[in-house]
Amino acid sequence: MTGWWPRGLARRHVVERFASDTLRAAGAVLFASLIAGVVIAALGFSPVEAIRALLAGSLIGPAALTATLLKTGPLLLTGLAVALCFRCGVWNIGAEGQLYAGALLATLVATRWLVGAPAVLVLPCLILAGALGGALWAAIAGALRVMRGVNEVISTILLNFVAIQLVSLAVHGPLQESAGAYPQSDALAQAARLPELARIHLGIPIAVLLALAGSFLLFHTAAGFRMRAVGLSPVAARFAGIVPERQLLLTICLAGALAGLAGAFEVSGVTGRLFESLSPGYGYTAIAVALLARLHPLAVVPSAFFFGVLEAGGGAMQREAGVPAVATDLVKGIVILLSIGFAAGVGGVRRVGPVARAPTSLSGPQADGEVL
Amino acid sequence: MSAARAGAALPLIELTAIDKSFVPQRPVLRRVDFDVRPGEIHALLGENGAGKSTLMNILIGLVRANAGAIEISGRPVDLARFGPSAAARAGISMVHQHSTLVPAMSVEENLCFADPSGGLLFDRRRAASRLAELSQRYQLDVPPGARVEDLSVGQRQRAEILRALDRGARLLILDEPTAALTPGETAALFPALRRLRASGRGVVFISHKLDEVEALADRVTVLRRGAVSGTLAAGELDARELGRLMLGRDLSALERPSASGGERSSPLMRLRGLSAAGLGGGCGLHDVDLAVHRGEIVGVAGIDGNGQRELEEVLAGVRRMDSGSLEVDGKPVRPHVRTLRSLGVSHLSGDRERAGLIPGFSLTENWILKASHSDERFFSHGLLRAATASEATRVAIAHFDITPADAAADVATLSGGNAQKLAVARELSGEPRLLVAVNPTRGLDVGSTRFVHEQLLALRARAAAVLLISTELDEVLLLADRCVALSRGRVHAIPADADRAAIGAIMLGGQGA
Repeated sequence: MTGWWPRGLARRHVVERFASDTLRAAGAVLFASLIAGVVIAALGFSPVEAIRALLAGSLIGPAALTATLLKTGPLLLTGLAVALCFRCGVWNIGAEGQLYAGALLATLVATRWLVGAPAVLVLPCLILAGALGGALWAAIAGALRVMRGVNEVISTILLNFVAIQLVSLAVHGPLQESAGAYPQSDALAQAARLPELARIHLGIPIAVLLALAGSFLLFHTAAGFRMRAVGLSPVAARFAGIVPERQLLLTICLAGALAGLAGAFEVSGVTGRLFESLSPGYGYTAIAVALLARLHPLAVVPSAFFFGVLEAGGGAMQREAGVPAVATDLVKGIVILLSIGFAAGVGGVRRVGPVARAPTSLSGPQADGEVL
Repeated sequence: MSAARAGAALPLIELTAIDKSFVPQRPVLRRVDFDVRPGEIHALLGENGAGKSTLMNILIGLVRANAGAIEISGRPVDLARFGPSAAARAGISMVHQHSTLVPAMSVEENLCFADPSGGLLFDRRRAASRLAELSQRYQLDVPPGARVEDLSVGQRQRAEILRALDRGARLLILDEPTAALTPGETAALFPALRRLRASGRGVVFISHKLDEVEALADRVTVLRRGAVSGTLAAGELDARELGRLMLGRDLSALERPSASGGERSSPLMRLRGLSAAGLGGGCGLHDVDLAVHRGEIVGVAGIDGNGQRELEEVLAGVRRMDSGSLEVDGKPVRPHVRTLRSLGVSHLSGDRERAGLIPGFSLTENWILKASHSDERFFSHGLLRAATASEATRVAIAHFDITPADAAADVATLSGGNAQKLAVARELSGEPRLLVAVNPTRGLDVGSTRFVHEQLLALRARAAAVLLISTELDEVLLLADRCVALSRGRVHAIPADADRAAIGAIMLGGQGA
């Protein structure tokens, strides 16, 4: 049984695994595109024309490339959030809600608490607020899981809706712009906007750096080692003196911070305001991003870029070739299924399912009470 | 006497000279004869791995015998055609240890699944009246309308029996029915089983508890290593005899090492009055006193499910004691994984794949698994020192001759023997003062077993202590300087001069003998 989880430490294995994982990911993308092409053709459109329009809208020319990169940023951060959690056996489906929570707190800081403050003060505060908002939001699901045994798949999904409605409530009420015309926040002051170069805001290079940091954390630190141990076998981890509940909380908060950061960056770097449909579902696409990357933080970078292309090119495809943009969702869905299918086929379904809580005596109340 | 009356009737089912092997040359059952008569409770005894489960699976048609004959009420059946549905038609029904009812449904609704009239629709009211009638007749109480998940273990079991009866069971197989029951529930179950017997049904009763077998059974069949070592009638039951049948009498083949004569002044580790809650309705631990000295191997014998896992988990530091104390070097210790490790207590898990090693991690990652909190060699300032870790692993691989000799390979690719070598090597690497080893050779071949045994003896020779918790009596007798038996969560001393029959009787809970 050889899993799809990267795990060993020797260089040879890393290279081998990189090759086979890349091949698999490319295969998944190709196959998904092929099916999408067939569907597009069956709907009476020209697949060639559709792909041309998609690439023109996402890769060809500076404007298209910028659009793609701006989509890549939040996908990268949320994808990273999901990948870290899945590594630790925490099935966090709540990156979307954590993104909104981060955006909300960041907006609060920028438009209510630190109005008129200089950039050196407001920018770090805003970024921290984004991370904190996301982390706190994720901590709710983490705490429910650790203290009450609530399945985090359910709680994170439901908390998404709560966060989205909370933002809606905020922009219709306390955070609504002074003009009072639209359900949106005031525009962020220039001091609260992220510096940018050719419309590429600072958040995007930061996201890439965080991917590097995530990879370092997982594979080169004791904390990451413990996270991976818990993800593969919470029982064995407990026998080794690791407290799975603690790792779980830590990981989901870290992931929430990353997703919250994505929200703060969107508000401060792209839109300049908070409004209801801030994210076109980045936090959901993030699951596909993470799975296509086989949960490797570094691989999340190209994976996020690929979905950035789909996100940016989908609109162009609809405009230019008349193909509904949801065709890109088809690709997304098939990639997810294929990634999970590979995992199930190779590593056993066990690896994909949430970490079981019930079957071991070790997660019983006695053990919990003692270790927490 | 029901047994006498039943003697005349044709057996409900009769198995003759059944052979079964899953792998060629490794027979699980050898020429087993087994029959159940109407109006009889037939107990089945045997050690773990003696072939009880396989035999029962043949009875209910889940497993096909390789050779032999099966007759149902005197009529021979085709071995190849005897599957689950044929067994069900013959009225053979199994009550499993773990409930197979749908938890979210009521007992009545669970009966509807098996409605013999079988149409598309189900009649909940009719099911309810059948249930009431059956539960009244056999005194098997189940709260009507309650959902199965809200029932206690005992109630679930009664529901399970009622479902079997509702399906027209003539032969009921109960797999360790009392393992998860409270004494009160057990006491309530027995009259119901006797009523089943009186109604002319046959009951197969699998149990490890001698008093229960004595109280209920008309006949007892003992399996040992896949063969029937004896069948006794109710009148001939005797703890020593059953122990002998279960464990064999080849005592002379075993050689017990003489005690190493280390100073016996103060024990290295001592448990006083340890009690801990049971797992999943298990028996837990009650008032366990146990001491281990330097330079000795203390063996804890017993049949699985008598508190072994609870004891292991307490000593590994992952289970809380309800009362009692654990002392190391005479000082009380709060058992926690890291505390125990820092005191030189090492734990060789009895569940290699799940609790000992992590499949999916490389050999190196498994090697450093237990060090992720403390060991400065492999982790410094929160960083993983990969080079040091894989070097240490390579040394261990070479020293213990582990294949594949690749520190970066996935542990899941190792054979059981090699995986256990890795686990043993890891636990020994810190030169433990006390090793708690649980079923250290389960599933290993002869060579690997020998390796593990040598390592344990070598550890003892280095004046370390070993607590060997094993369900293999041979292993305990071979290695241990001193033995105790764990039975229903209590520790019973085994006298040094006890023979296997006596030990078997102690393990079965029949005191002394």
